[in-house]
Formats: sequence, structure tokens, C-alpha cells
Amino acid sequence: MKRIVVFSITTVIAAVANLPAGAAPITTNTALPVAKGEYVFREQIVFNQSGDDPSGANRDHNVALSASVLGYGVTPDLAIFGVLPVAYKKLKLTTPGGARVTRKDSGLGDIRAFARYTAYKKNMPGQTFRIAPFAGIELPTGENTETDALGRLPPAVQLGSGSWDPFGGLIVTYQTLDFQIDLQAGYQANTKADGFEFGDVARLDGSLQYRLWPAKLADDTSAFIYGVGELNLIRQEKNRANGIANPNSGGTALWGLAGLQYVTARRIIEAGVQVPLIQDLNGTALEREYIVRGSVRFNF
Amino acid sequence: MKAIRKTLFLLAVPVIVFAGTIQAWAAGVHSFKVDGLACPFCSYGVEKQLKAIPGVRGVKISIKTSTVTVTMKNGAELTKAQASRAVKNAGFSMRNFR
Repeated sequence: MKRIVVFSITTVIAAVANLPAGAAPITTNTALPVAKGEYVFREQIVFNQSGDDPSGANRDHNVALSASVLGYGVTPDLAIFGVLPVAYKKLKLTTPGGARVTRKDSGLGDIRAFARYTAYKKNMPGQTFRIAPFAGIELPTGENTETDALGRLPPAVQLGSGSWDPFGGLIVTYQTLDFQIDLQAGYQANTKADGFEFGDVARLDGSLQYRLWPAKLADDTSAFIYGVGELNLIRQEKNRANGIANPNSGGTALWGLAGLQYVTARRIIEAGVQVPLIQDLNGTALEREYIVRGSVRFNF
Repeated sequence: MKAIRKTLFLLAVPVIVFAGTIQAWAAGVHSFKVDGLACPFCSYGVEKQLKAIPGVRGVKISIKTSTVTVTMKNGAELTKAQASRAVKNAGFSMRNFR
């Protein structure tokens, strides 16, 4: 059952790591500014479905996640963020005895806190280029030792990792009146808790947002609709239990997303569907089928 | 009677327009460019910073031309330094203050 851990943890990371600042990518981060003294809030709903089990256990795993993100501009260049995830996780499988069982859990996941600093910016008429590193930590606020009638839940169904996990990365953003490109490289070093350690996660993300409407800007244009295309290359190392690597965990996946964003001065409404383009998972890990994302962002 | 009304109306229009212009001049209207501004969501940061300046009555932003127009209350004045600081606090750069 530990084989499915790989998609559970990367789902959470992909879902809750993105900053709500500016017109921004759906699955990754942007280096666009949060004004000094300004708050930005994002509420994202994510549904992740996995199945097509090669193991014969006919596993069906899904995660519904609500991620609330609050950001604050400390200075024009420094912004801090907190992410509060609430998840509902369910795993159905057929036991070796032939019984069909469901294992599930719901509640608060691991809270993330991080800061982003704009190290370089070049503002030009109608366009901006920015480079911003970020760093933070994932706190062990989600329960990682839950049990049900069958015993301790597998890590993929647990709400948290139980460990303090630092992460960081670099974001590059180029925005014009017509389009925006965001690129990110990130790494999360997962640590051990209760004898178990999730594999570290490295990722490369790219996003293109292209203005579809209005086709031509007017002096009073106050809203955009962007078409959004994104790629996420995610690599997770093998999980370790009591120091021993699990050969059926970890691997590499390339995801593609297509979505739409409606952007005004005070809010963004967006939705997208993400599908795996390439999955090269270790062992007989359960493959993921799709992720649906929808969110709203406000600034105040 | 109709002719008198029409004459009065025609006389009133330029008076009202002139009065409005005088009021705008007296209140103070400033405009400037904001470099780096390229989408509606980011414009709110500029608007919020400018509205926090005492005496600012209204802020209008054209994303197309990166032009910000600030209308001041009667007797209030906006300095270049105030406007530049507000734009900088929003993460952008100001030029062509008038």
C-alpha cells in the first residue's frame, strides 16, 4: 500500500505551494508583487483521482483538498505566506481475501509557511521581469498516526507527514500586457517522523498565461480572461521506513494543465484540468489519472 | 417659452462644463505613468497605496497606457515624492509625474 504514497504527497505539494499574488499560474508560483501592507487570499479546491491499478488490488484513490492561502506584503519586495490545507482522502481496495474495503480520513493537513523575496526586478512600460527566491517549512500539523478498524492507515491516507520539512526554490516571471510566463525550480527536503520518511521532492514548473479577452485593450479595460497552459516535472525520491527504501515509491511524472482565468482588480476566478503526460514511477506504483482545480483569489 | 428654455439650457451647458473644469483644477488632478503594470490584479496595489495618501479623492488607472490619474480633494496637494513612494510600495516604478 505504500506504493501510492508518491502521488499523495506530491498532490498536496502541487496544490498548496502556489502563491496568490498577481495574475498567476494555477499550479505554480509567480514573482509578481504583493504591495506593502496588502493582503492576498486564495481559496483553492483540488480533486485528484488515481486508479488503473496494475497490482490486482483494484485500488481507487482520491483526494479532495481545500487549500486556503493568505499572503501579506511586508515590504514591496518581501512577502510572507501561510497555507492551511484541509483534505478528505479515500482509498478503496480489494484485500487478498477478496473483501472490498474503504480506508479514509479527513481534516487539517500540514500547514506551510514561507517567504518570498524579489531579488531582481526590471519594470518597463507595460511589462515587468522579476526573479524571486522563496523558502519555507511544512509543519507537522496534520495527523500522521490515524487508525481505523483495519489498523494504522497507510501514509497515503494520513493527513500529514508528522515531520518538519523545509523547502525552497526560485521563481522567474516575465509579464506583458498580452501574456505572462512563470518558471520555477523547487526542492522539498522531507525529514523522518515515527520511523517513516517521505522521499525528497524536486520540481520544475512552467506556465504561460495568454490574454484571450479582450482581444484589444481599451483605456477602460478592467478585466482580462487568460488561457493558461502549464507543465510540471516532478521527481520524488523513494520513501524510507526505518531506514529502508521502499522500491515501490517515488518516481518521475510530467503533468500538463489547461485552464482559464478571469482576472479583475480585486479578484481572480480560475479553473483547470491537469493530466499526466508521462509517468515513470518506481515499482508498481498506482498511476494518477487527473486533477481538477478551481480557485478564487482576492486582494484587500 | 420654449425658446427661452432652450436658450437657458444652451447657456447652462458651458457654465456647468466650465465650473467642472474649475473644480477639477482647484481640487488638483495629477497623472503619471507606472512602469511594470501589466494586468488588472496588480493595479489594485497601486490604487490602495495612492488612496492611503491624505487628500486623495479618486484614482483611475488605465492598464492599456500604464497611466494613473489621481484626483485630490479641494485644497489637498499630491507631491511627486508621495506618488513615487506609493507606486514603489506597490512594487512598480513611476515616471512622467504631472
